[in-house]
Parts: sequence; structure tokens; C-alpha cells
Amino acid sequence: MILGIGFDDPFLVGLIGLGAMLFMVTLGVRVVFAAAVVGLLGLVELNGWDAGAGIAGTVPHSKSSSYALSVLPMFILIGFLAFHAGMTQQLFDCARKWIGWVPGGLAVATIFATAGFAAVSGASTATAAVFARVAIPDMLKYGYDRRLAAGVVAAGGTLATLIPPSAILVIYAIIVEESVGKLLLAGFLPGVVSALIYGLIIIIWAKFNPSLAPAVGGFTWQQRFASLPGIMPIVLVVVIIMTAIYDGWATPTEAGALGAFIVLALAFKRKMHLKTFHEALMETAKLTVMIFSLIWGILIFVRFLGFSGLPEAFTQWILTINASPMVIMICILLGYAVLGMFMDAIGMLLLTLPVVYPAVIALGFDSIWFGIIVVKMAEVCLITPPIGLNCFVVNGVRPDIPLSDVFRGITLFFIADIITIGVLLAFPGIVTWLPGLL
Amino acid sequence: MDMNSDLTSHPIDRIDKLMQPIDNVFNLIAALAIFAMMLLGVSQIGLRTIFNAPIEGYIDLVELSMASMAFLGAAYCQRVGAHIRMEILIGKLHGRALWLAETFGTLVALFIIGVLFYYSWQHFDRAYELGDTTIDAEFVVWPSKLLVPIAFALWFLRLMLQLVGSIRLVITPGATPLGVVVMKDVAELAAQEIQETFGGEDPVHFPADERSRP
Repeated sequence: MILGIGFDDPFLVGLIGLGAMLFMVTLGVRVVFAAAVVGLLGLVELNGWDAGAGIAGTVPHSKSSSYALSVLPMFILIGFLAFHAGMTQQLFDCARKWIGWVPGGLAVATIFATAGFAAVSGASTATAAVFARVAIPDMLKYGYDRRLAAGVVAAGGTLATLIPPSAILVIYAIIVEESVGKLLLAGFLPGVVSALIYGLIIIIWAKFNPSLAPAVGGFTWQQRFASLPGIMPIVLVVVIIMTAIYDGWATPTEAGALGAFIVLALAFKRKMHLKTFHEALMETAKLTVMIFSLIWGILIFVRFLGFSGLPEAFTQWILTINASPMVIMICILLGYAVLGMFMDAIGMLLLTLPVVYPAVIALGFDSIWFGIIVVKMAEVCLITPPIGLNCFVVNGVRPDIPLSDVFRGITLFFIADIITIGVLLAFPGIVTWLPGLL
Repeated sequence: MDMNSDLTSHPIDRIDKLMQPIDNVFNLIAALAIFAMMLLGVSQIGLRTIFNAPIEGYIDLVELSMASMAFLGAAYCQRVGAHIRMEILIGKLHGRALWLAETFGTLVALFIIGVLFYYSWQHFDRAYELGDTTIDAEFVVWPSKLLVPIAFALWFLRLMLQLVGSIRLVITPGATPLGVVVMKDVAELAAQEIQETFGGEDPVHFPADERSRP
């Protein structure tokens, strides 16, 4: 009323607000500003200037200074130091000695090595970049199809967001007010299942095209066991983070801090330059502030939405649709697939969850399960056109492999991802079992 | 036209160069706070499990220090264009249309950051006047709350510069962009991700133990 728009109906104000935000975001206004400005104006319209703006003014500090969020900078730091800690070559080496003998062995080994690296890195693009350097040369040397070699690396990178530590799962937990620990645990098995399905589909493909993806065998058991000590630091970080969350001997933040400390120590042991360390710290701070800005910006918007009653109305509307919840869920996921083509995963989640999440819960779906499904959806978009950032990253590291080949190489893994999502839809227990033990 | 004239003496560029070290230092403080939080977490685990003597007020300390990580780097992040946005439409624009859209976005940003600067200052001021402390360890709260308006003020200045830079390009679209973020396409974005992953290392030259073995 203060703004003089004169709408008495909070729902209508909410609808206009949502429309205004989508308009601004489409026009390229940075998400934090679009969300915060609509949230502010909406709060002012519904509560008056001082009360409304007063609420908005307290959100940034009060929402940011929460202990649950403090795990984010730790995970981000681990991610930026992961490459410098080494172990990538050891991981790949170990994986190829143990599973190189299967059809498409080196490609399967790459998948398992990326899954291992994902345990110290939450970033898809970084994982793809690292293994484009480590695994592609080896695969090409053994006569692997270069499309497969590039595709496997781009796809393997996406495992990083499901396997803990994953920043995006923490953000989901914060926005929907779910336990951070549960979300992190929940990502583990689906990450492993994704890796297994990737592996399986490579083996099947390699059966039909043995010359394009030959098995690499001939390693003795002695060689295999000798390759294990090289990956112990990664196993240690995984064990620390998983047991801390599961058993509660440390909070996620403390476990993240210890993980980061170990990775940092390894990086310095490998003589990381101080300049590199400085850069990694600056990048960590940059990504941290970006994520926190998004979070408080969206939370101002969420406060406004709460006053408007729009999410409830949307939920009521969804419940009136005469279709099975699963059909509605598949429609929602298709919506995410389209949105994911144009938006970064974090931005997409934060923009949509305030409205979509309550409806999904009302339909009877599990909140943790939905988090994992949505994040997996967002990851699929990292390897599909038109953006497919992971593919560009692989092409950036290996300019000799044309982008069109990388995208063609991804087809196999796109199919695998659809299968994975189907499996997670059909067997939600894969997601909910581990966090259910907490 | 300032196309070929000495750009380093252009006022926008001079102000930009003046502000960059400040942005950098603020982001560095945020980075050091993250580093300190890591050490604090490791110490907490060590002291608790080995000596059974956890750090008193650890959670309060972490929560109060969060503001430094959450806000101080905002202007730096703005300068390098790292705050998320959707570029599907704006990425297709060129010349005057592009800079008009950028000007609009920057005006929105200036408005919200300006208002939030004022009200986050109020939020700090109340805590200062009342002498608010945290519940458990009774640490004073206002220094943490003060970081928000400080960071927003710096962010506001950076946005002002970007506004001037954008308006200049609306007027003369052909001029060399100064004080603004030049958008990256996907390939450049990928190159940046690669650079961030490998840091200062030469992307072609592998460190000794990373070289693929025969």
C-alpha cells in the first residue's frame, strides 16, 4: 500500500513480485539483486516502509551468521586445493590397475578415479579439467576413441556434486531448512550408483566396439596392492567427513576444516607455491561471497513470499491437478531440465525452490530425496547443449579434441544419467536409506 | 573519441585502479577469515578429543566471523562479474542495447544495496546501542554486524563506477569498455574454470609425479 500500488490482496502482490523477479533475471540482472529488490519492495508493500525494509535489512547478517552455513567455505576451500594436493594420477593409476581388464577398462577406471576425486572436490568443472589432463592422454595412447575419452571425463566430473563434500547440497539444505548432514550423506549412494551405471554402460558399449575401447590387463596382484597407498590420503578425507557426519564425532564444519587442513598439508608437501595458495584462497573467498549473497538475497525474497501466501496457493493448485504425484514430479523435473539449459545449477535451485519445494512436499515426496534428484538434474545440464560447461572445459584443456566430438562423446553418458534418474525415481531408498540411519 | 587516446589517464580507469587494491584487501581479509576458521575447526577437534577441553564459545565465534566471509568480498566479486546471473538473453545483445541492459541491472543493484546499506547500519546501530552479546559466550555482536554496512558501502561504490562505465558505453558504444564487466562466452568461462583449477601452474607442463607414465 505504501508503494501506492494499492493491491490489498497479498497473493496478487506475490504474483506480481514473482513476475517482476523472473523478468529481471531474464534480462540479466544478477540474481541476488533481482531477488532482494523484489523481496524488499514486496515486504514494504505488505508491511510499510520501516517494518518492511527493517526486516529486509536484518536478513543478510542474521541469515549469514548461522553455524550450519559455516561448512560451505570449508568445502569450497577443499575444492580449490584438491588439484594441488595431487593424488589424481595415483587415483587413476590405482583404478586402471584394478579394473583396466574389463571391456573399456581405462574409461571405467576414469569414472572411478573421478568418483574418488569427487570425494575431495565438490566442483564438476574442476574435476573434468583435472581428468582431462590425467586420463585422456592415457586413453588415447591405448587407442581409445577420442569422443569416448572426452565424454567420459566430462561426465565423470558431474559425480563431484553428489559425492560429499558438495556445496550445492549444503545450499539446498539451508534453503529448505533440512539437515545439512543428512543431505550430504544422502548424496553418497546416488553418486556411487551414478558411477556404477556410467561404468556399466561403458562396458556394454565397449563389448560392441572392442577396438575403440580395449581392455588393459596384465597387472599382477602385487602391482595392484602397491598402488593402494597412493590413494590413502583421499580415503582418509572421505572417512573423516563421512564418519563425522554419521557418527557425530565432529560437526560438518569441523570435519570440513580437518579435511581442508589435510588437503592443504598435502599440497604444501608437493611444494605448492605460496602464490598458488594465495590464488586458491582468493578464489575460495570469491565463491563463498557469491554463494552467501545469493542465499541472503533469496531469503529476503522468501520472507516476502511467506507474507504473500503464494507458495501455499501454488501448493493448493498443484494438489488439485488430477494426475498421479509421479507424473507431476516428472513434469517438474522436465521443467528443471529446460531451466538448467540456461542457468547455473545454484541459481536455478535458489530461484525455484521457494515456490516448488512446498508443493513437492505436499505431494508426499521426501525432502532429501527431492534434493538429490534436483541436483542430479542440474548436473545433467552441465554436460548437455547448449551450455554444457563441462564439455567446454574438456575442450579447453584438450583443444585438439573438437567441441563437437566432446558433445558426441557425451551421448552415452546422457543415456546413463536418464537411467540413473529413473532408478532413483523407482528406488527412492537408495537416497533415503543412509540419512535415515542418522 | 577516447578509442585510441591514452586510456590509462581516463578518469574511470584511474578510479578503477584506485579501488582495486581496496576490493582486493577486503577479499583477502575474507579469505584469511576462512583460513582462520579452518585452523579453529582443527584446533577444536584436537582440543576436544585429545585434551577434552573444547574452545569456549567456539560456535559463537564461528557465527560472528561468518559476516567477514559472507560480505567483505562482495565488491571484489562484483568487479570480476562473479555474482550469478542468467546470460541467455543479455549475452545476445551488443553495443548500445547491451549497455542499456547493463545500466538497468546496475541501477537495480544500486537501489537495493543502497537501501540495505542504510538498514543494515540500523541493524548494527541497535546492537551497538543495546550492547547485544551472543547468548552462550556473551561476545559483543556489533563488530560483526558493522561488517555488513562497510562491505555494502564498498559494493555501492563499485556499482557506481560500473554505472558510470555502462552509461559511457550507452553514449559511445564503440569505446573501449572501462570500469565494467565484459561478459565471457562459454569457452572463455571454461578457460577461466581451468585456470582456477590449476592455479598458477603452466597447464601444459605437468608436475613431475603427474606426468603419465609409459
